[in-house]
Amino acid sequence: MNDQYKLLIIDDDDEVLTNLCKYFRQKDYQVTSASNGLDAVKILEAETDGFDLIITDLVMPNISGVAVISIVKKKHPHTPVIAITGWGEHPEALATEAKADLVMEKPFQLTELDQIISNLLSRKH
Amino acid sequence: MGPPLIGISKSIERIKELIKHVADTHLNIVITGESGVGKEVVAQNLYLRSSRRGKPFVKVNCAALPEGLLESELFGFEKGAFTGAERRKRGKFELANSGVLFLDEIGDMSFSLQSKLLHVLQSGEFAPLGSEREFKTDTWVIAATNQELDQNIKNGTFREDLYYRLNIIKIIIPALRERPEDIPPLIDYYIEKYSNQFNIKHLDKPAAPVMEKLVAYHWPGNVRELQNVLKRYMVICDWDEIVSELDFNGSMQPETPAATKPDHVGAIKMSDLIDLTGEYSPENPAFSLKKVKKTILDRVEKEVIAQVLQQKGWNRSKAAKTLKISYKTLLYKISDLNILPPKNYNNTSD
Repeated sequence: MNDQYKLLIIDDDDEVLTNLCKYFRQKDYQVTSASNGLDAVKILEAETDGFDLIITDLVMPNISGVAVISIVKKKHPHTPVIAITGWGEHPEALATEAKADLVMEKPFQLTELDQIISNLLSRKH
Repeated sequence: MGPPLIGISKSIERIKELIKHVADTHLNIVITGESGVGKEVVAQNLYLRSSRRGKPFVKVNCAALPEGLLESELFGFEKGAFTGAERRKRGKFELANSGVLFLDEIGDMSFSLQSKLLHVLQSGEFAPLGSEREFKTDTWVIAATNQELDQNIKNGTFREDLYYRLNIIKIIIPALRERPEDIPPLIDYYIEKYSNQFNIKHLDKPAAPVMEKLVAYHWPGNVRELQNVLKRYMVICDWDEIVSELDFNGSMQPETPAATKPDHVGAIKMSDLIDLTGEYSPENPAFSLKKVKKTILDRVEKEVIAQVLQQKGWNRSKAAKTLKISYKTLLYKISDLNILPPKNYNNTSD
C-alpha cells in the first residue's frame, strides 16, 4: 500500500538526501527530492495535488526549512511535515511554531523515522 | 516606486527567482550585502510583487538614530510618556501595519532593543512608550545589513534567537566586483534613466575600451558608486576624464579580497612575492638578503608602474608625474623591468 504515498524530502546535505531517498524508495514510497529550499518551493508550486508527507532539513541557505514548513502548512494544512535538524534549539522552536508535526534531531535511526512516518500517514488516512 | 533589479549574472537571476517565489509568503527576510549593492531595491521588489503592494512601505535606518530615539521611532509613545511628549506619536510598527517595515542596518541595533523587536516578532504585539496596553500589528519585517550577523552573534552583539527569527529567508547580494557582467547593463540602464531625468540628448555610451576599464574597476561603493560616476558623467560628458578619476589601485584582481584594500602591496602574501624554496632558497650558496630585496622590489615596482601606465592609457608623461619620477627614469624602468604595452597600443600618446 505504501507505493501510493508521495514523499518530498528536502536537505542541502547530499549524503543525507541520497541516503533518505534510497531508503524510502526501497520501502516503496514514491520519493521526490530537493537539495535546497527554492527547489522545494518550486516543486510544491508545480505539484497541485501536494504530497502525502514532507521531510525537511531546517538550516539551509536562502529559503530555510522553517520557511518551507510555513509555505506547506499555509497551502496544505493537513500535510504532515517532519523537520530534521542538527542544530540548536532556536530553529527547532521556530519549526514547531510553524506547525511542523515533529522535529527530529540528527543523528537518528532510519527505522525510527520510518515508524514515525507510518504512524503519521495512518493517522492522516 | 523603486528601480528594477538590473543584472544578467547568475546571482541576480537567482535573487529575481527567489523574490518571485517568496514575495507572497510574507515571512521574515534578511537581505545582506556590502553598502551600495541595492538591498533596499530588493526589499522594494519583494514588496511590489507581494499582495501588500499599495499598503505602507516604511523604512527605518537603525544606524541613523541613538537607541532611545530609535525605540520611540519604532514603537511610538503616548502623550506624557516623558518630558516633552506633548502628544501621542505613532511608531513605525503602527504606520507599517498591513504593509512592510524595512529595517535597514539591523546589525547596528542595540542589544536591548533587539529584545523588544524579538518580542514583537514572536507575539505580533508592541507597546508604545508610556502605554499600558499592547497593540496588535500585522507587519511584514524585511531587515537588511552589511554586517556578518553570525559573526556578531559570536561577538555577543547580536541575539541568536532574533537572528533565527529574522533569517527565515536570507537573500545575499554579492558585491558588484564579484559580478562584473552586470556592469554594462547597469551602465546602459542608468544612462538611459539619467538622460531622461536630466533631459540630456545624445549621451554617448562608453566605447569598448572604456567599458573594459569600467568593468575591470573594483567598485568599492558598488551600484551606488556607479550611479554617482554616471551622474558625474552627465556633468562632464568625458569618459576618459571619468575613467582617470577612478582609483584603480589594487583593482585589477577583483576576485581577491586583497584587491578591495587600498594598500594592495601590503596585502600581498610573502609566498606571492618570492619563492624561498627554489632559486631564492637560503640554502642556495648565491642567496643574499640584498638579492632577495632587489628581486622583490623590482616585482613591486613593475606591478605599480604597469598599473599606473594602464590607468593613464600608457601616456608616459602623465604616468611619470603620478609616480613622481622623471620621464627619463620611467623610460629606463619600462625597459629595465620589461614592462610591455598592451597589444593595441599606439606609440604616439605622449
